Amino acid sequence: MSLRKQTPSDFLKQIIGRPVVVKLNSGVDYRGVLACLDGYMNIALEQTEEYVNGQLKNKYGDAFIRGNNGRPR
Amino acid sequence: MADDVDQQQTTNTVEEPLDLIRLSLDERIYVKMRNDRELRGRLHAYDQHLNMILGDVEETVTTIEIDEETYEEIYKREEQCCSLQVCSELTADP
Repeated sequence: MSLRKQTPSDFLKQIIGRPVVVKLNSGVDYRGVLACLDGYMNIALEQTEEYVNGQLKNKYGDAFIRGNNGRPR
Repeated sequence: MADDVDQQQTTNTVEEPLDLIRLSLDERIYVKMRNDRELRGRLHAYDQHLNMILGDVEETVTTIEIDEETYEEIYKREEQCCSLQVCSELTADP
């Protein structure tokens, strides 16, 4: 991945299509392929797996995560 | 926060996550919310704040009780059926 200066929106376009881990402030992790996201950090994932305390809990075909849930408490 | 004008200019080539929710209109969806609450229902409407209107909806609340003697965790699930439910996603965090 390039380390040159880029705007946040460039970075966001770059990671679309990659497998990612989305960590929420509730402690739940969602692993899946990044389908798209927007400037509010709303996220759409495909082939999503939900991990609670490191344990696989659920699998979803498509998942939408609201952008406010990444804020640390 | 996002600049709304720029968002509109870039949505010609890239779909937003909200566009993908639009594809789920009139379908049954599963919504996970804070405080271990879940909803399953038919999506009738939504807006940019993720306020939603669901029909034929089932609400599940999961609570954990700890037995004082055995420290065993008991999971309780309460289920309610509603014909129509308005779901507000706005958080009240200061």
